Amino acid sequence: MRRDVAEKLARMDADEQALLRPLVDTSRGFYVTAAFLAAVVVWGLFSYYLQVRYGLGRTGLNRPGYWGIYIICFVFFIGISHAGTLISAILRVSKAEWRRSITRSAELITVLVIGFGAIQPIIDLGRPDRVLNVIFHAQPRSPLLWDVVSIGLYFISCTIYLYVPLLPDLAIIRDSGIKAPRLYRFLAAGYRDTPYQHVVLERVIKVLAIVVIPIAVSVHTIIGWIFAMTLRPMWHSTIFGPYFVVGAIYSGIAAILIAMVILRRAYRLEEYFRDVHFDYLGRMLLLMACLWFYFTFAEHLTVFYGAEPAEMRTFWSKITGQYAVPFWMMTFGCFVIPFALMARSATRTPRGTLIAGIAVVIGMWLERYNIVVPTSVNPIWEIEAIGRYMPSWIELSIMAGACAGFILLYMVSTKFVPIVSIWEIREGREMVHEVAERVARYSGAHTSSTRVGA
Amino acid sequence: MTRWGMVIDLDKCTGCAACEVACKSENNIAPVSPEQAEMGRAMSWMKVMAHVEGDFPNTTMDSYPRPCMHCDNPPCIRVCPVRATYINDEGIVGQIYPRCIGCRYCANACPYTTKYFNWYGPEWAESERQHLNPDVSVRPKGVIEKCTFCHHRLQQAREDARADRRELREEDYQPACVDVCPTRAITFGDLDNPSHHVAELREDPRAMRLLEDLGTQPKVYYLRRGH
Amino acid sequence: MRPTRREFLWTMGGAATAYGLWQVPDLVREVDSFAETGWSPGLEDRINSTCLICPSRCGIRGRLVDEHLVGITGNPLHPMSRGGVCPRGVAGVQMLYHPERVASPLARVGPRGAGQWQPVSHEEALGQIAERLQVLRTEGRPEALALLAGYCAGTMQDLWRQFLRSFGSPNYVADDYNDGTDTIMALMHGIPRRPSYDLEQAEFVLSFGASLFESWWSPLQAFVAFSNPGGGNGQRRRFVQIDTRFSRTAARAHDWIGIRPGTHAVLALGIAYVLIRDELFDADFVSRHVSGFEDFVDDHGRPVEGYRSRVVRNYRTEEVSVITGVPVERITSLARALAEGGRQVSVCGAEVMFSRNGLLAGLAVHSLNVLLGSVNRPGGVLVGDDPPLDPLVEPLLDSTSEAGLGHAPVAEAPPFGAGDQASRFAEVMAEDEAPSIEALLLYYSNPLSSSARREQWTRVLEKIPFVVSFSPFLDETAHQADLVLPDLLPYERWQDAPAPISYPYPVWGLTRPLVQPQGGGMHTGDAVLALAKNVGGAVAQSLPYQSFEDLLQVRARGLFSAGRGVILGSEFERQYHREMEQRGWWLREHNEFESFWEDLVDSGGWTDLFYDDTDPLRMSRTPNGRIDLLPAELLRLQDTQEGERQLYMDVGSDDDGAPDEFPLRLIPYRVSTLASGTLALEKWLVEQPVVFPDVLWVPWVEVSPITARALGFGDGSMVWVVSPRGRYRARLKMFPGTAPENVCAPYGLRHPDGEQANPLRMLDGSVDALTGLPSWSSTFVRLERA
Ligand SMILES: Nc1nc2c(c(=O)[nH]1)N[C@H]1C(S)=C(S)[C@@H](COP(=O)(O)OP(=O)(O)OC[C@H]3O[C@@H](n4cnc5c(=O)[nH]c(N)nc54)[C@H](O)[C@@H]3O)O[C@H]1N2
Ligand SMILES: Nc1nc2c(c(=O)[nH]1)N[C@H]1C(S)=C(S)[C@@H](COP(=O)(O)OP(=O)(O)OC[C@H]3O[C@@H](n4cnc5c(=O)[nH]c(N)nc54)[C@H](O)[C@@H]3O)O[C@H]1N2
Ligand code: SF4
Ligand code: SF4
Ligand code: SF4
Ligand code: SF4
Ligand code: SF4
Ligand SMILES: [Mo]
Repeated sequence: MRRDVAEKLARMDADEQALLRPLVDTSRGFYVTAAFLAAVVVWGLFSYYLQVRYGLGRTGLNRPGYWGIYIICFVFFIGISHAGTLISAILRVSKAEWRRSITRSAELITVLVIGFGAIQPIIDLGRPDRVLNVIFHAQPRSPLLWDVVSIGLYFISCTIYLYVPLLPDLAIIRDSGIKAPRLYRFLAAGYRDTPYQHVVLERVIKVLAIVVIPIAVSVHTIIGWIFAMTLRPMWHSTIFGPYFVVGAIYSGIAAILIAMVILRRAYRLEEYFRDVHFDYLGRMLLLMACLWFYFTFAEHLTVFYGAEPAEMRTFWSKITGQYAVPFWMMTFGCFVIPFALMARSATRTPRGTLIAGIAVVIGMWLERYNIVVPTSVNPIWEIEAIGRYMPSWIELSIMAGACAGFILLYMVSTKFVPIVSIWEIREGREMVHEVAERVARYSGAHTSSTRVGA
Repeated sequence: MTRWGMVIDLDKCTGCAACEVACKSENNIAPVSPEQAEMGRAMSWMKVMAHVEGDFPNTTMDSYPRPCMHCDNPPCIRVCPVRATYINDEGIVGQIYPRCIGCRYCANACPYTTKYFNWYGPEWAESERQHLNPDVSVRPKGVIEKCTFCHHRLQQAREDARADRRELREEDYQPACVDVCPTRAITFGDLDNPSHHVAELREDPRAMRLLEDLGTQPKVYYLRRGH
Repeated sequence: MRPTRREFLWTMGGAATAYGLWQVPDLVREVDSFAETGWSPGLEDRINSTCLICPSRCGIRGRLVDEHLVGITGNPLHPMSRGGVCPRGVAGVQMLYHPERVASPLARVGPRGAGQWQPVSHEEALGQIAERLQVLRTEGRPEALALLAGYCAGTMQDLWRQFLRSFGSPNYVADDYNDGTDTIMALMHGIPRRPSYDLEQAEFVLSFGASLFESWWSPLQAFVAFSNPGGGNGQRRRFVQIDTRFSRTAARAHDWIGIRPGTHAVLALGIAYVLIRDELFDADFVSRHVSGFEDFVDDHGRPVEGYRSRVVRNYRTEEVSVITGVPVERITSLARALAEGGRQVSVCGAEVMFSRNGLLAGLAVHSLNVLLGSVNRPGGVLVGDDPPLDPLVEPLLDSTSEAGLGHAPVAEAPPFGAGDQASRFAEVMAEDEAPSIEALLLYYSNPLSSSARREQWTRVLEKIPFVVSFSPFLDETAHQADLVLPDLLPYERWQDAPAPISYPYPVWGLTRPLVQPQGGGMHTGDAVLALAKNVGGAVAQSLPYQSFEDLLQVRARGLFSAGRGVILGSEFERQYHREMEQRGWWLREHNEFESFWEDLVDSGGWTDLFYDDTDPLRMSRTPNGRIDLLPAELLRLQDTQEGERQLYMDVGSDDDGAPDEFPLRLIPYRVSTLASGTLALEKWLVEQPVVFPDVLWVPWVEVSPITARALGFGDGSMVWVVSPRGRYRARLKMFPGTAPENVCAPYGLRHPDGEQANPLRMLDGSVDALTGLPSWSSTFVRLERA
């Protein structure tokens, strides 16, 4: 760290010091990790080059296994993206005070991962050079087109939703002059935190939080519909919309938890990511685990009772057949492990939630695998042979590249924005009183309601 | 209204696969390498499928030559984001190769698995290009293809009929698979034209369509084995 | 101004990005190169010809655009195939334009088999061959020339025979489709000609293992009959298949009777038993036309048990059921159905003949036709005739040729029929004191790949100093030759293509060039004519034809002046002519041969669809004019040889069952889309050789799931098929239609890397001593993990 910067930092208050330090102080470990991730990204890009050059034949896709890793990753990444926006929006709207330190890191995940999700279907195209045909020859009845629209909207709204609450912090950085003055002057866009500006900001955030929720819900609903709108066994299901949304939120929370544990360690943020945050998020994870189980169970039970031959072929391929290993791994990752850990307060610790979070992320990836692959390779017409799908190294490399790219971007972003919202923390501290009043109001609810009724 | 359709008599079909190879020849379907075939990437717009049941000596087999069903209510075209697969006024479901973006959504949506994807570009030796049918374009890599009811033959037949100043006759437009079938198991024509054989055959009590309950309304009928 | 490091990096980065963007259109264009290949409307033509890929000889119609053959369909004028073709016929374009065709005559320069060739001109190649052959004649050893010829019935065969005869060599070695059924006809009817089957008018077709829809003489003949639901009398036609294997014929027939290997004839006689017991046979026919049915006393005064007694004594239904594995009720109902089926015919497949007592088994099967009077009547076994072609000129034999022909052929004939000449030839030649063969010509034959005894052929080829192959492809044997003079492919040459004998009516199909020759090949027929000229003398005078096309015209004059038959025409014309001829009418349609020939070429051939079933010579030509159920020749042989199997008594398979170390029986069979070496070059066929089980490219064996699981193999495991004679690698396919004690092994396949997978090489080598034909289902194997 340069001396003048250190001095400037020393002059700031404790929150600012702790949260702005990562922007100006970078460890060796960071560079090593970033270099490694960058190498993986380059490798992924090279793999994609080969795929474009020689054709999708370089993948393990086939007939009838038309879809594989890319579509899985598409659903998975977009699912993760529900982390931020949805969680933070819900928490904001419901005025959950403990949200203040976690919204930023969550929203950042959202914005950064959407891009990586959105490019997956393009990577999956046989003719990426014609991707603009989606606009020139748009066919509005295709769920794929709905998806293009909803993801586009989602990306824009999430970016705004990330950016607006960032303004006061950007202004703080600009004012502190610790980093790239011209950049932050541009980014802060003249925000001075005047009372008027502040009120407008709060109002905009409030509106955005409400707007973003249905958009986020629509995104994953439509992704579910991409599958559900076909007649394929175990895709053609009305439950898919909500099921996908639940899964998305679930994997999103897990992703936040992992990110929080790592950030807490790396940037010594114990002050901000307290045990209570892990406890609360752990409870949410528990809730989502139960919801996930409920949906998964309902989905499979109805298939089992319907007992249509084509559906049963797919069903059994998951339960006992070719896909039994991923299926039961998924059940473990998405339900058994998180449920066991999150049901007890003793394990709703950072370490416990980390384990559960990792289990859920892997489990949710497998869930997408179990949705995409077994159905794709199981034709409805029972006379068609059941296919097989083994991803090639090209696909795995591209997936690794995408994951690495996302992590790298996230890491780098922590060097440019405070990963915990400084002004919201500050505001939280100032509002202790007001919140206490509000809480008191809840407990006195019956009096107020009688008054209203009276 | 013309609605082109096909009736395949399973009592007559011997599963010889002449239709399959004739389709490949007519429509320039490139063979793939053994490794590719192993991966499930061989192409056959017309595929003679077999369903074997029962152990020795009580085994039975049904064989179904399976082209595209040219569904009247085709789930494949609804999902295509770029309208690269379409149904025309006469019920033929076609592909627009230069527009297809290769997302394979239609392939997943088709309940009959009749869509084939060009994982690589087709490979023909220089000498082999001489047997390519100039009436049918060779597909590039990365796009979906499938049975077209040989609609290039319809265009030609129309032009010929127009040149001769007469109506199009049933025998003017017959796809390649119908041409070669040694048992005359496949009949092709206008389902809505009572003078065409298919119109009568599809009223046969043995007539059925594949996965009829899905409501896709295929225009390929099968006459069940009934001996 | 010196750039800063930062500026430098930005500039480089920018340049790299710009270059990358520049490249994008290229990447895209590369992808599009196929879509952009030029197109222009072409000149289209459709020409009739005949398919030469298998003995069926179906009529085909080539579609030509700008003189390229872009498609093959059927010729609807052909009376047998009626516009249909099989997949092999369609894939012919891939053979014609195959990248591996030999481009010009090749002379070996390096050691044999090293693959070092020198392209030479036709004249040079012909000159080299002629020189070698002339030496044989001048040195008085014309018998040292041998020809190994695949199926080429018609003028090509006649030409080769004439060539060898005038040259003085008795060694025309046939390596073709000999199923031995001609011997049945020779013994019982005194007519040494394979039976024809009138499937089209039959109402009940009982096939004993004949792969009617796969590899029979003519699958198309069977297809056309099968698809026409009505038999002659408007009754629904039924096909019943008796087969060890759940073959595709079995699958599509109206009924399949799964049977133990080698017991077809037992079942046939079991059926005969019911027919006799229940008096369902045609007693009138038997009493008028058949001898040997009842017991009789022979010339030496000894009593001989007749057919009836032999059957009644030995084939009680219960016993037959135990031997064949077919339930009693099935046997009885089958016999009834057969008797009541209207015009019934029993077809004896090559697989019945290809066993250690094949001839006796074949006679037993055919006896059903005799019992039911299904001989020489519509819908039965018919005795057809050949197209009335003009013969070749009388061969001129000089003293050299006379002397040469005085030698016995290397492959001497078995007691009955022609036998398996190619195998016998190799066997004799491989011995240490073999006759001297100094020049071997290979026509349509590739024994190093197709023979069950590859080692034998390797030795034989080593012994023969001069080997010439006429193959258009460098097949295994051509690879070992000294000279390759590539033939043209059937789509580039003139040839006649008579329909196979299984079809009752003579059809003279004509194969004509559809396209210009692709490479530097030469019609082998023309090559033979040119050789004859080069060799000179008697040979040249015996083959005084300008070209093979001329020769065909010369022969077709016989059709022109025969006063019967008609050039191929529509269904209506066919019907019309048949009816006219039935009434004894025949109208001349052409006054000059030239126009006759022109029309014949245009339509694709000539046929005569009238069969005269009142002609007693088509029933029997034995001395007493009767069909002999107990042929004297055979009885005599059985008398003289102790312990010889007895007619209608020992017709079952004689093996002792599976030995412990080889518990499974090998059932080789021919895949309908493949088999011969050349077909494996057609990728459309190899890509998906059969409809079931679902296989691609890799050779496979079919095993019952029960057996496979018991052996611990999964569906798709690679296995070694091991017999006492060797082993080969294949993929195991579980197939429920396979009997648990059998392994069904398609032949004619090859691994993608060229590794051979020929089950015929596993065969135990046993033969039917009477016919010399190989036994194909007496070999036992085991499966090992590969
Ligand atoms: N598709 C095709 N057809 C061809 C040819 C070709 O190359 N391809 N070539 C022609 C030639 S050269 C020939 S020789 C013929 C050969 O034609 P086929 O004689 O029909 O030859 P395969 O099919 O090999 O015959 C073997 C059959 O015998 C059955 N079989 C096995 N064991 C037994 C047994 O113990 N008893 C009895 N009765 N049957 C048994 C098997 O199930 C199998 O169906 O095909 C001709 N037609
Ligand atoms: N692996 C295997 N072995 C077999 C058989 C099998 O199907 N597969 N079948 C068995 C039977 S029943 C028989 S009859 C024999 C037959 O075996 P072969 O007599 O060897 O017959 P094919 O392999 O059909 O053809 C021989 C060669 O003829 C050449 N040929 C192809 N077209 C032409 C042409 O137009 N002109 C000329 N001059 N040559 C041409 C090809 O190069 C081919 O290699 O094999 C027996 N052995
Ligand atoms: S060509 Fe005809 S008989 Fe052969 S498989 Fe096709 S439909 Fe069946
Ligand atoms: S069969 Fe499949 S590809 Fe053909 S129209 Fe129907 S849905 Fe579309
Ligand atoms: S693969 Fe092509 S035709 Fe099929 S849905 Fe995608 S763009 Fe449409
Ligand atoms: S109609 Fe034409 S494209 Fe369709 S299967 Fe038949 S030959 Fe092929
Ligand atoms: S059956 Fe034989 S002759 Fe007829 S088309 Fe097929 S290969 Fe050619
Ligand atoms: Mo043969």
